[in-house]
Amino acid sequence: MRIACFWFVLATALGLLSAVARAQESPYFVTYDHHMEEPGNVEIETSGTSGIPRAGQHFFLAPYTEFEYGVTARWTSEFYLEGQTTAGDSTVFTGWRIENRYRPLKREHLVNPVLYLEYENINEASKILKEVEGAAPNLSSPNALLRQEKDHELEGKLILSSDAHDWNLAGNFIVAKNFSQNEGVEFGYAAGFSRPLATLASAEKCRFCRENFSAGLEFYGGLGSTLSFGLNDTAHFVAPVMAWMVSDDATLKFSIGFGLTHESAPVLLRFGYNYEIQGIGGKLSRLFGGNP
Amino acid sequence: MIAGLCAALLIPLAVGQNLLYWPDPTWRPPESATAKPNPLANRPAAAAGGKKLFLRECAECHEKDGNGIARKHSADLQLPVVQQQTDGALFWKITNGDTGRGMPSFSKLPERERWQIVLFLRTLRPAEQAH
Repeated sequence: MRIACFWFVLATALGLLSAVARAQESPYFVTYDHHMEEPGNVEIETSGTSGIPRAGQHFFLAPYTEFEYGVTARWTSEFYLEGQTTAGDSTVFTGWRIENRYRPLKREHLVNPVLYLEYENINEASKILKEVEGAAPNLSSPNALLRQEKDHELEGKLILSSDAHDWNLAGNFIVAKNFSQNEGVEFGYAAGFSRPLATLASAEKCRFCRENFSAGLEFYGGLGSTLSFGLNDTAHFVAPVMAWMVSDDATLKFSIGFGLTHESAPVLLRFGYNYEIQGIGGKLSRLFGGNP
Repeated sequence: MIAGLCAALLIPLAVGQNLLYWPDPTWRPPESATAKPNPLANRPAAAAGGKKLFLRECAECHEKDGNGIARKHSADLQLPVVQQQTDGALFWKITNGDTGRGMPSFSKLPERERWQIVLFLRTLRPAEQAH
């Protein structure tokens, strides 16, 4: 519970601090589309994944904070810190990740590819389920045991995404190699579609107008590995997703994922709060008396 | 006269206005895009929503009145070189961005919202200086 309180306080404090920012976020939690961070901007997102357990498992809450920076208009870099608390067990820090997304094509096309590369330095107690690949995650063992198993993992994704008639359609194919364990090369997928609830902006500033909401559905799961390719012993989820732009600078996101196989957690609740700080370089320069 | 010219150039530069903006010659919409009419052209009131979107999405680089920022090499949207473009061309540029020069794509906005921004761009008062 302490870690949940810490994340809540952090999100609230940062939200209050972000005076100049902007947000128009995709509602997805797992699926990536082709929209990149604006160059020079930083987006800070605090999210949590919570699992409602099967018999023999425990309720868990896995918060993570993500710092996303637009290096250029076609290159976005992200850094994650993550933790996890399990009811009746313990609260643990589960590691960090760094990822880069690069969009090779300059213009919008019918299908827009993005190349994704991530390095993960986490342990097996990680339960944020930011992506699902390989076999189903272990949700039953105690944290003390899981955190001893380190994962140094390199992960690549091919992201294909399309905007058509205000709908976004996106599909991700995932390939991951854990260098700490002999698991072969693991595979996974994520796909989703979403749409804003209104497509015409009203003249007035409003928070509950339909234009500030977008909704969709995403699917994600594992496809086994080179040692055992296929759907055997894999987790799969279908999850309605919703995003609400609560102010010009912040978006709240929510999702309920339903496990489709016995190996999946029956229900995954996800929530996220993100906000964007524009022109972070200039702001830091001004802060230290420079001339941005 | 020279002093006047210098003042005309330097004062806007001093406040950040990008009168020296020169468009990227490779950033050209296809003819099919240029010819597209604005579907909201007969709904001028929608420009107010476009202004709201402009302030949220575009003002960071183009300033609230569309002057542009010389440091960012962002376009002064009041200049004839911008205002003479068709609605379809402006829509295409908002949609695709000019990623080589740092302008991101705004295809994440619904199509009608992008057209609303085009409507608003037409309300920006053109600068007196001809380019």
